[in-house]
Amino acid sequence: MPLAALVTMLASLSLLSGLVRGDTWWVPAAVLMTVVALVSAAYRSLVGGAFAVPFLQLFAVLLLYAPLFSPETTVLGFLPTLDTLDHTGALFVEGLHTVNTNTPAVSPTPGLIVIIAMVFMVFTMTADFLAVTARCPGMVGGLLLSLLAVPLFVDDAGVSWGPAAITAIGFLALLAVDMWVRSHEWGTRVSTRRGPGTPPDGVLGRVGLAAVSVVAVVLALLLPQALPSLRTDALYTLAEGGIVANDSVTTTHPMVSLRRDLGADSDRTVLTYRTDDEEPEYLRTFALDEFDGENWTMTPVHAGRDSGVDGTLPTPPGLAFAPDEDELVTTRISLDSDTPPMDFLPLPYPARSVEIAGDWYVDESSLMVFTTETPPSGYNFVVTSAENRPGARELDTAGPPRSLTDDRLHLPQDLDERVQELTGTLVEGADSDYESALALQEFFIGGDFTYDLSPPPVPEGTDPLTHFLFEDRIGYCEQYAGAMAVMARQAGIPARVAVGYTAGKPSGEDRWTVTASDAHAWPELYFEGSGWVRFEPTPADPDGGQGTASRPDYSSGVDELPDDVAPEPNTEDEPEADESPEEGPSTAPESSEAPDEESGAATDGWDETSAVSGGQGPPGWPAAFLVGLLVLSAAALPALIRALVRRARRSAVTAGGPAAAHTAWREVRDTCLDLGMDWDLTESPRSTAARLAAVGEKGLGQETEGALWRLALAEEAARYAPDPRPVQGLQGDLGTVVAALAGSVTSGRRWRAVLLPRSLAPWRRPRIEADPVPGLL
Amino acid sequence: MSLGTQHDGHGGDVQEDVDAVATVADRVRDAIETVIEGKPDVLRITLTVLLAEGHLLIEDVPGVGKTMLAKALGRAVDCSVQRVQFTPDLLPSDITGVSIYHQDRGEFEFNPGPVFANIVLGDEINRASPKTQSALLECMAERQVSVDGETRALERPFMVVATQNPTDMEGTYALPEAQRDRFMARVSVGYPSPQAELDMIDSHGSRSPLEHLAPVTNAAEIRDLVERVQHVHVAPGMRRYVVDLVNSTRTAPELKLGASPRATLHLVRAARAHAALEGRHYVVPDDVQALAVPVLAHRLLPGPEAHMERLSPEQIVAKLVARLPVPGPR
Repeated sequence: MPLAALVTMLASLSLLSGLVRGDTWWVPAAVLMTVVALVSAAYRSLVGGAFAVPFLQLFAVLLLYAPLFSPETTVLGFLPTLDTLDHTGALFVEGLHTVNTNTPAVSPTPGLIVIIAMVFMVFTMTADFLAVTARCPGMVGGLLLSLLAVPLFVDDAGVSWGPAAITAIGFLALLAVDMWVRSHEWGTRVSTRRGPGTPPDGVLGRVGLAAVSVVAVVLALLLPQALPSLRTDALYTLAEGGIVANDSVTTTHPMVSLRRDLGADSDRTVLTYRTDDEEPEYLRTFALDEFDGENWTMTPVHAGRDSGVDGTLPTPPGLAFAPDEDELVTTRISLDSDTPPMDFLPLPYPARSVEIAGDWYVDESSLMVFTTETPPSGYNFVVTSAENRPGARELDTAGPPRSLTDDRLHLPQDLDERVQELTGTLVEGADSDYESALALQEFFIGGDFTYDLSPPPVPEGTDPLTHFLFEDRIGYCEQYAGAMAVMARQAGIPARVAVGYTAGKPSGEDRWTVTASDAHAWPELYFEGSGWVRFEPTPADPDGGQGTASRPDYSSGVDELPDDVAPEPNTEDEPEADESPEEGPSTAPESSEAPDEESGAATDGWDETSAVSGGQGPPGWPAAFLVGLLVLSAAALPALIRALVRRARRSAVTAGGPAAAHTAWREVRDTCLDLGMDWDLTESPRSTAARLAAVGEKGLGQETEGALWRLALAEEAARYAPDPRPVQGLQGDLGTVVAALAGSVTSGRRWRAVLLPRSLAPWRRPRIEADPVPGLL
Repeated sequence: MSLGTQHDGHGGDVQEDVDAVATVADRVRDAIETVIEGKPDVLRITLTVLLAEGHLLIEDVPGVGKTMLAKALGRAVDCSVQRVQFTPDLLPSDITGVSIYHQDRGEFEFNPGPVFANIVLGDEINRASPKTQSALLECMAERQVSVDGETRALERPFMVVATQNPTDMEGTYALPEAQRDRFMARVSVGYPSPQAELDMIDSHGSRSPLEHLAPVTNAAEIRDLVERVQHVHVAPGMRRYVVDLVNSTRTAPELKLGASPRATLHLVRAARAHAALEGRHYVVPDDVQALAVPVLAHRLLPGPEAHMERLSPEQIVAKLVARLPVPGPR
């Protein structure tokens, strides 16, 4: 059975084949899985029992882990060290980064391989437990489903037939082996009764069975259709991360949504809107304002009573004058019902008011509007926004960013110095922030950059930013926007990355249609007096760029002032589904490991609080995890030792031999001690049996009593008879008696017996009373 | 003890031997039980002593069936039974027999006394004078009679069943310790249960059931059984257990006088018989524990402490048994 479970899980590895490139990424996973399964099989066949299996498996994995994944940190080639721990943390971070920043198929970085191997190792252990220990192989299907969900959620292509079939076959094989084992077990007994699971005999029986099967299948197919709550979009919501309590909002990585939309290259309509503006703004969904060295992420937003949307939104930061009421632009947005629900609204910037049903909240500094509930998949709302189109001169003469409360200039310390040098070169000679910004934008538009939705993977160990700027210069809006925002900060201009949609294409009078391929990311730069202003470093070429991108007037002419041009970023919208505060790194997503991706994404924004959810987090978490594991192991040690002793004794009893009776009786004794029952050395086996038979209110029952007597008499013969004869069936009797004894006490005492077995404590064992007869013993 | 007929070891011939012992003993027991009802423990000890070639001292108040027990035993086993009613004027020769001079033949002829029988019932042995008592007791120990310089062996099996009233009753001479020591076991019959007494009214009302008691075995068979009992196995641990137990009576502070080495031998022999009665060919602690009080208690002299605490020798032996660990696995 352990091997059948292994085969099943190995087959499921194929599910990831479409998501990870290369031929060898699965090898470490397969090695670990095989070891885990072999440990289980060996222990079960040689020693018997299941209790120690997980511990031994973990131990084996621990031994193998270091040589497999960080051989350079080991002692003697296999002993893990503290460096291994650090290295592990780094690997996980790297793996999560890979997951978060790439689209499928991703290249197998060591971190990703570690994550895959660990996840599959844990799944194999679980499958082993379910299929072998618990004898419920059907539940392994749950594991396989969760694995199946990975490619479904991260890859628009879904699961191809091949891996799905292989996985299904593996699962069926497991079930078949289980049936075979069961029938084999039962087959040795002659029974006139039909065991459960035996098909009924006769034509009638078979027809009935078939009918029941058909009805079950039909019901399974039809019932979900009849239940409104099981629509497929609910699954989408699940997949993209819903809302978490505590007023803090979580969502999937905005860049993941972005990447998915762009990658789909589809014309699926996300939303349509009507506006009287002839040049509508972008529709912005997210503003990512933190850069961690690799990814742009969003400062967590909070839904509070103060931040509820009741029509008017807070004043946009940085504007010199309150927007003129007459210049407000009204946009009526209809989200397509096929679009996954969005919990962040795509809005033109700066929005001044929003009319929408439900509980929505606004983040004051970024004017993002979001909800903590799961919104319906299609809804309409009306937004008014200001026309914030500063002139080039205004921008040119903007003073230092005084009214910006948050630090939007922060950058990690360890950025590649070449980036700073590059920025310095580009802005050299610029007389103002505005000129610097234009220079940066020109660098991307006019430079040697190539727009490509599927950039080649970033080699492992390379910073994606420097790779984009100095190596291949291939990317799409995410890279363009991210790089420009970083460089703007270096040039002293507060900057952030906005994610959403371009204005889309006109589809009639006043009507505009935004499709999934209009998903976009762009930098927003801050100028005192004008607020956050949109720039557009991404090429607008339909063939080699974001076709519907537009360059604001203020940013298109390097020269003088294009008067009433409207700069500023504003609108955009996004058809994606939720998002939220936490996450934020940019970049594309998808990787092969869904569970990791999700948890990884979650941790990105969360690091400290959510380390448990599994992702990277600071390298400290593996240590915490290991410490916890150690504590648990220490607590479980007595139980483990006791279980091993019991296991060894049971197999010794099964093996028979003259000592079998002694061993069995000793086990009865220790069970009694564990359960807090008396054990008197002055009692003969018979007297003990007679006493134990009366344990409990009704005694142990006739069958158990018989077993107990057989054990006692066997022990008696082994002790006192001249030629004790081996007794058969002691194993079964022992099991019966031990179970009955355990059943005769309260569950509290049972637990104590398991966790703190008294029989292991020499000082708790029965001893000969001190000097019962002086001078005698 | 409920599983007395179960046995788990195998001993080949020995096992067959003890099976035979158990079978015969069961027959005898059933036969006696038609007369003495509701006293299985007493019967078990009695049979044990018979098979261990010991002598039995029955101590109890008058009228509880002491004599009846002895008679029934004699009837069930088809062997010679002699009864001696001990009285203060009974002489030793009344027991052993005398040589009488025949003038016509000019020689002495020995007239065997009642002791020449397989089962000798000594009624109210503590009523006789110490001299007469010791004459009997000598026969018990030696299994032979010496009269006029000639030694005559007694036929086996030879078992003395002596009854005595409690020594605090009037007109009795208590047996000295040395003589009590020769009895393998002492039992008390005790009063029957009300139900047994009711049944007794019915069965004993018109005629004695003793008359209808048919023999179920004979002396030769008993001899054979006694021989077989000798082969019952006593594990080294069990020997040590018996020795430890007897020793504990010698060191117990409550006892002025402990059990003798003869007590050890008696205890081992009795334990063998006890095991065989249950169809087992090896001795287990339960045999010894069941026999400790009957075999040991009457040999002990309680000290002043026991008197102060009103501990009977039986209670002291039971306490000693309860404190002694049984032999563990070899």
